[in-house]
Amino acid sequence: MADTITLEVARYRPEQEDEPTTQCYEIPMRREWTVLDGLNHVKDRLDGTLSFRWSCRMGICGSCGMTIDGDPVLACETFLTDHHPGPVRVEPLRNFPVIRDLVVELTDFMAKLPHVMPWLVADEPPPDTEYLQKPAEVDEYQQYSMCINCMLCYAACPVYGLERDFLGPALIALAQRYNLDSRDHGDHDRLEILSAPEGIWDCTFVGECSRACPKGVDPAGAIQRYKLEAAKRTVRSLLLPRGRR
Amino acid sequence: MTNIERHNYDVVVIGAGGAGLRAAIEARLAGKKTAIISKSLFGKAHTVMAEGGAAAAMGNANSNDNWMVHFRDTMRGGKFLNNFRMAELHAKEAPDRIWELETYGALFDRTADGRISQRNFGGHEYPRLAHVGDRTGLELIRTLQQKIVSLQQEDYAATGSYESRIRVFAETTITELFVEGGRIAGAFGYYRESGEFVLFEAPAIVLATGGVGKSYKVTSNSWEYTGDGHALAMRAGATLINMEFLQFHPTGMVWPPSVKGILVTESVRGDGGVLRNSEGKRFMFDYVPDVFRKQYAETEEEADRWYTDPDNNRRPPELLPRDEVARAINSEVKAGRGTPAGGIYLDIASRRPAEFILKRLPSMYHQFKELADVDITKQPMEIGPTCHYVMGGVEVDPDTAAAAVPGLFAAGEVSGGMHGSNRLGGNSLSDLLVFGKRAGEYAARCADETTKRVKVPAATLNAAVENALAPLGRGEGGENPYTVHGELQQVMNDLVGIIRRRSELEESLGRLADLKERIKKVGVGGGRRYNPGWHLALDLRNMLAVSECTAKAALEREESRGGHTREDFPQMDPDWRRVNLVCSLQGEDVRLERKALPTMRSELMRLFDRAELAKYLTDEELADFDAAAEGVAASGGSASNSAAVGGADKGDV
Repeated sequence: MADTITLEVARYRPEQEDEPTTQCYEIPMRREWTVLDGLNHVKDRLDGTLSFRWSCRMGICGSCGMTIDGDPVLACETFLTDHHPGPVRVEPLRNFPVIRDLVVELTDFMAKLPHVMPWLVADEPPPDTEYLQKPAEVDEYQQYSMCINCMLCYAACPVYGLERDFLGPALIALAQRYNLDSRDHGDHDRLEILSAPEGIWDCTFVGECSRACPKGVDPAGAIQRYKLEAAKRTVRSLLLPRGRR
Repeated sequence: MTNIERHNYDVVVIGAGGAGLRAAIEARLAGKKTAIISKSLFGKAHTVMAEGGAAAAMGNANSNDNWMVHFRDTMRGGKFLNNFRMAELHAKEAPDRIWELETYGALFDRTADGRISQRNFGGHEYPRLAHVGDRTGLELIRTLQQKIVSLQQEDYAATGSYESRIRVFAETTITELFVEGGRIAGAFGYYRESGEFVLFEAPAIVLATGGVGKSYKVTSNSWEYTGDGHALAMRAGATLINMEFLQFHPTGMVWPPSVKGILVTESVRGDGGVLRNSEGKRFMFDYVPDVFRKQYAETEEEADRWYTDPDNNRRPPELLPRDEVARAINSEVKAGRGTPAGGIYLDIASRRPAEFILKRLPSMYHQFKELADVDITKQPMEIGPTCHYVMGGVEVDPDTAAAAVPGLFAAGEVSGGMHGSNRLGGNSLSDLLVFGKRAGEYAARCADETTKRVKVPAATLNAAVENALAPLGRGEGGENPYTVHGELQQVMNDLVGIIRRRSELEESLGRLADLKERIKKVGVGGGRRYNPGWHLALDLRNMLAVSECTAKAALEREESRGGHTREDFPQMDPDWRRVNLVCSLQGEDVRLERKALPTMRSELMRLFDRAELAKYLTDEELADFDAAAEGVAASGGSASNSAAVGGADKGDV
């Protein structure tokens, strides 16, 4: 194995350039290094002005999402060896405006977050101590609670790239996380936004979101499952009097 | 003149981890206009990395559990140096905070009959940690974050603006607190994204900035943990206590080098994992200290029976408090019985079936598979101690979380006292909920009571701007911030680490003094927009200040206790238990003062056996205890004691 490997990093410094450029950094090729280790080596030793987000180094904070050799991935979980002999192309996440270098603007997600009402909608006061919820009831929605808001699914989603209003994979999965929670009674309230044009029906079920998800949340599965549910509800609302829907 | 964005708030919360978000929720619920300042993106704070769970004596797993047992465990874990009142409030209020979190929507693992499941952890008498697999911190942060979003919807309905009563300032770092006329007046900082400056004027500020781990080379902490709140508090005139006590978590990854220090949750041991040296020996049985002898198993057979029959067997020594386990690992490695990468083995593969491991420890499985190419259902993990948590922090009033400076509050890791000399696992997530709520509540009251709000004078503000811009002004010709940071981490790792000695501590103070001068000369290239070198340059003086506190206090305290081990003073000394070392700033230098610990109320004291107290207290204190006990006996026995502390104690040890 060679001693070094080249990172081809997309740079964008709006204070000095109008267009993104590419800068190559030669870094040690270490078997145990992730791309994040490589970037930190660059920042600490070669170029202290390179900007990127990171935090936990263990795939739980969801800060270091970027495009590596064309795929949306977490830099802390992407090993240099899997991209050997390089060069390794490192770019910002797609589908988001770039602030500087590998740092992208993510406010769209936070702005849309309230639309899916990600909290317990209760129709009665909460218990004095705890709810009762059986393990099987937890299993119904636990998968959808694993989301780390890393935005890889948005970067992977071809629909989000074209339709900025699309709620997007993670938010629909989050809506399902509450819809399927036995303590929640908000599914009717969430129906309107989810079945609106910018909700589930925008999704063309390419499935890229689930392939990109580092936590196995399977947003594509959540969307597909909800499409069925929404269709049933629509039929019911046409056929049945309100009380029996 | 540099442009400065200005805001006015009732309560400003610095830090967006568990304590900060819980404080902000409480201040907003009290009707205060509240700002949350988040150094990283909203929802990415360090709390997200917490794995094991939140300790709360709900009694779901064992009905013998109650707040008194939890209180006792916490005091024992901290080797009786804890602020007793904080430990008491924490033990009493943790269950309510967990149940309340559930009403916000939190998911917890459940017992078969649908109650919140509780897991075993080091130093806890009963299974006590509410958890979600091994990603409890993520659930806690997400739930609090989404609670705040839901409050913003209510505010929109009432006022037409989502941010009218609670607003999050993401990727914003505070560099100065302002004190005018002896009380808090505001905070100053910059947006990471634009590099623009921002001033928050507020009568009440809550520090919830977490810890200091980035001063160390091997740490489980992320880049935010640079002791900002600790240093801001001192510069504002507040005091820090217990700064000599750092928790080195016994199980951090040691291989590969790039992930060295990353946490391996204590749940691995709680769920049956054991520690072995290179000879295959389960060595923890050799390291049970006298103070814990009665509570821990002496044979592997008894220890193994405990997992299924905890009422009739004693706990495995792998579940001793973290300081004990970290020291034991350190000794084994030093004696030449370590692994090739310089750690020891943590083995759950040979102890539990693969399905069990995958169900209970999914993140650990993933972490080792992805980062180390190790399958923990088939192979042992290689682990070693990593700097994890600072027990020391801002000296606060236990009930109100108020610091010495009027208007300043602190909660969570940045506050001191709750955990004494060593924190039990699981007591951090509960700590930040309990005291986050209290800090928010009392900060709101403080804002109410402050009728006259003081302005920050222009000259003060200009000085803050000048300080912040200085590293950019010096440019690349100055000292490189990454180089200086690396040297600081090396000094702390090598000279103020797990095992400490006078000569090395003295040397560290010299080295820190040199680094302090070099930090003044740090320069960075580039501009103000998302410039990580500039950000680090501004964090350095905070790391230096807290490192100086730790080194000075560690040199002063001539005993070994909890997260402070002196090779030259290996024993616990009852006289030192009565002393807190209080740090403050005098000019640029850290000043150390000795201060007596508050005396525990006698009815709390009587929750312990005399024999156990004798291991910690001075003869004088024991005589007082005996005299008080006689008084109680004369006036009708122990029933009055139980009544005084709130009901019968079923969980006697």
